[in-house]
Amino acid sequence: MITIKELPDENLFTAGHTACPGCGVAMSIRNAIRVLGKDTAVYVPASCGVVFGTTFPYGAWKVPFFHTAFENTGACLTGMQAAFEKKGKKVTVVGFAGDGGTYDIGLQSMSGAAERNDDVLYICLDNEAYMNTGIQRSGGTPFGAWTTTTPVGKHIQGNRRFKKNLGDIVVAHEIPYYATLSIGQPLDFIRKVEKAKNIRGFRFLHMFTPCIPGWKMDPARTVEVTKRAVESGMWTLYEVENGEKRITYKPGKMKSVKDYLMMQGRFRHMSDEDINALQMWVCKKWNLHYKEKGSPDICEIAPPEEHHAVTEEHREMHGP
Amino acid sequence: MAAQTLAEAAVNEGNYAVAFPFFGAERRGAPVLAFTRIDSKKIFSKTQVYNPDCVVVLDDSLLDTIDVVSGLKPEGIAVINSKERPEDIDLGKIINTATVNAISIALEILKAPITNTAILGAFAKATGVVKIESLEESIKRKFGEKLGEKTGERNALAARTAYEKTIIGKSRGIKKLEARKQWLPTYQEMPVGGSLIEGKTDAGLIGPGSFIENKVSGWATYRPLRDREKCVMCLLCWFYCPEGTIHRISNRGDLMTNYDYCKGCGVCANECPVDAIKMVRARV
Amino acid sequence: MKKVITGDHAVAIGAKLCRVEVVPAYPITPQTLIIEHIADFVNDGELDAKFLTMESEHSVMSAAAAASAAGARVFTATSSQGLAFMHEMLYATAPLRLPIVMPDASRTLGGPPGIWCEYNDSMGARDSGWLQLYVEDNQEALDMVIQSFRIAEDKRVLLPVMPCLDGFVLTHTVEPVDVPQQEEIDSFLPPYEPDIILDTARPAMIGTFMPPEYIMEMRRQTAGAVESSKEVIQEINSKFAKKFGRDYGGLIDTYRMDDAEIALITMGTVTSTSREVVDELRQKGEKVGLIKLRFFRPFPSRELKKAVSKLSALGVFDRSISYHGGGQVYNEVRSALFGMTIPVINHLAGLGGRDVTKEQIMKMFELTRKAAKGEKVNEINWHDTRGETV
Repeated sequence: MITIKELPDENLFTAGHTACPGCGVAMSIRNAIRVLGKDTAVYVPASCGVVFGTTFPYGAWKVPFFHTAFENTGACLTGMQAAFEKKGKKVTVVGFAGDGGTYDIGLQSMSGAAERNDDVLYICLDNEAYMNTGIQRSGGTPFGAWTTTTPVGKHIQGNRRFKKNLGDIVVAHEIPYYATLSIGQPLDFIRKVEKAKNIRGFRFLHMFTPCIPGWKMDPARTVEVTKRAVESGMWTLYEVENGEKRITYKPGKMKSVKDYLMMQGRFRHMSDEDINALQMWVCKKWNLHYKEKGSPDICEIAPPEEHHAVTEEHREMHGP
Repeated sequence: MAAQTLAEAAVNEGNYAVAFPFFGAERRGAPVLAFTRIDSKKIFSKTQVYNPDCVVVLDDSLLDTIDVVSGLKPEGIAVINSKERPEDIDLGKIINTATVNAISIALEILKAPITNTAILGAFAKATGVVKIESLEESIKRKFGEKLGEKTGERNALAARTAYEKTIIGKSRGIKKLEARKQWLPTYQEMPVGGSLIEGKTDAGLIGPGSFIENKVSGWATYRPLRDREKCVMCLLCWFYCPEGTIHRISNRGDLMTNYDYCKGCGVCANECPVDAIKMVRARV
Repeated sequence: MKKVITGDHAVAIGAKLCRVEVVPAYPITPQTLIIEHIADFVNDGELDAKFLTMESEHSVMSAAAAASAAGARVFTATSSQGLAFMHEMLYATAPLRLPIVMPDASRTLGGPPGIWCEYNDSMGARDSGWLQLYVEDNQEALDMVIQSFRIAEDKRVLLPVMPCLDGFVLTHTVEPVDVPQQEEIDSFLPPYEPDIILDTARPAMIGTFMPPEYIMEMRRQTAGAVESSKEVIQEINSKFAKKFGRDYGGLIDTYRMDDAEIALITMGTVTSTSREVVDELRQKGEKVGLIKLRFFRPFPSRELKKAVSKLSALGVFDRSISYHGGGQVYNEVRSALFGMTIPVINHLAGLGGRDVTKEQIMKMFELTRKAAKGEKVNEINWHDTRGETV
């Protein structure tokens, strides 16, 4: 397994790109491509990744890059891979799609490629809303979250549905490899990308990628927030290889979801009732993932840390 | 937001005003461009403004790379967020200039380096196109609606403070700014289908990897300083940096940060396990 | 070698002869036979191609775009709703200059839903940058798949091409077709060798986000490629005629136009029927002629102007309507003939697959004759339409 020290120096996603400071997507792309290496060709559907990664005549990618539309990542990967195979070229074909492009508009195309078990690597960069268009709700948006289409109104506050269980949908295609990743767990991240690279067939890497303006948070805490997501059970690190599920990182005692929520302006309006509802959802998920077979449900939550409230200044700094 | 607030203030004084941004491809923190037109009668022109009466510069680091007054009318005025006095600012020509240290006002009153309301106060002082009272009113309403009454009031105070502290004078005109080169191919010269491989033009690199031409240090308010003594070379900062601007110098077992590409996010400092990185103001 | 085959079969054989490398496919009536035949070729080992069973037409054109950008010769086929579903991707592929060939089995685009011949499916794609042509028999369908690849891949063109064949009237109708030998096609159509492709040895960025300071030039470039396709089409038509003995005339074809006083402009299989009508009218001593509009994109304005220069009236057949009154071909013809003073009238017929009979075509000539004589005639004529009188 590659360690951080063994990662290559070469930057296949160069500096000078135009992502926001602290961008979780840029961080994940850079490190994924570090592991995948130069014999890689990428497709990026309509997303921030297209805009900050290429603006004619400039580009950050130093591997072949293709883009056409929003909803077709799976299909474009299939087509590209077929051409390479026909020409006898060994290329890792990778798609970097967002949550909107995967959970919603691109689900059909992804499902087609998964069901055909095409030899491609599908990476979903999940920042839990349509960020490129300016923060609108997607199927990946968590319960309670503010977005511009789930505003905090007088009658309805934030998103009323829980995050769609994309993992189970993908795994149901009986593909060789599905894994969830977080940039906050570098070794786990590197290992899973490397593993996905070396497996044949349809592989899916589900990356948790904070968005600074969308989550209304301090750019310095991009990595920290992913760690808190894992410690609280909001994000779970596991992999499913040929149907066998394995937890790759088990946190200690579950941290209160409040610790995670309070780092982000998008949740700051949540009522105790809503926070409680989200905590119950997390507990269910926690049991599903971490509970030993036959043992009783565990839902012991460490008391919330004394968190600093998200201040007015913070809101100003990170915009409306 | 500043352009819109200004338009609203002008309209409240009985004028007609149009404000619009130029939608660029860049994300948060990148230089952006916005226009405001004010007239006593309805404005029909929907084009961008090329010869303004006033140029407002929210970030004086842009002065190093962009000739901000190139289109400014000779009798016009440049309003610049800067700690310098007008006569200490070199705009490449001697022209009416107003300065205000909007960033320190913003940090003091708003506790954040958001200068767009403060600079409006300077604009009111420098041009007299709108009254400061009208600005205060429209800031209170516009910011208040979205961010709460208190925020609206504090932003209005920032504008008022800037109004009072604005210094009006003339710039210096010594340096020669060369217009930034841009590759502008004819349609015959355009690569077929717009598909690009690595290439070099008179204006620099194009194609894969060419974003390296785009220096983004102007985005940064803060930048990291690493303490070599404390650093244990765990490489986490190198791994996490979303810009890829921290480089390994393998033979020396050292790291080097190229500030040209640092946007000052602070992830490196936040994640450093031995607190070897401090964020310091990029410009004072 | 003569074979008695359907239009869809002829098209599939054409693709096989072109040694297509990637075929993303999705079924839709009346195109389905094409991809079924290709699947047979692949599974029987007669064609060494990647046959991809996609889950929608949008994905078909997406996979086609990606495979083409990666350097493969790509073929697929579609029809009607399928063409509409991939509409977005038509606009993505042409300006990226990806020379995909995709026959369209012309079929009414619902609603109301139907499966029979109408051109309102392909007409909706006329501004996408795809070249479009319409064939009148199964031989032409096969031959034009082959010519389409040569046109599409010509460095002066590099645009996708859509040969359209009438749903059912050709797709499911058998007639004798002379199938060329593989060696003949190999010497006519060289392998596809694009300059810039997705290649890890020489990375390219294809489909980058493009700001306004470049898009005007991109559009102008694509417009230029469509324009220069005219000369390429004529050139390839001549080369094909020389090699295979079948001359289709290039952009347009004309029939008995030498001394014609009036003429009809037709497309697709109605051209074929009209040839017999012209013969019958000629036997009666009427000086009538026929212009077959083969390519709708590029639109052969100059060639048409020349062809009609001695006429005293012109009728234009349309198998779809633009809801402004007349059909799309009529619109284009009127625009092309601007400045000419002869009467030009529109004949709408065969929409939704209604059979276009000889009687209807006779009527078209009759009305055009009336217009030539200066008699009062409707500008837009709905043939065989209850409630309308022509």
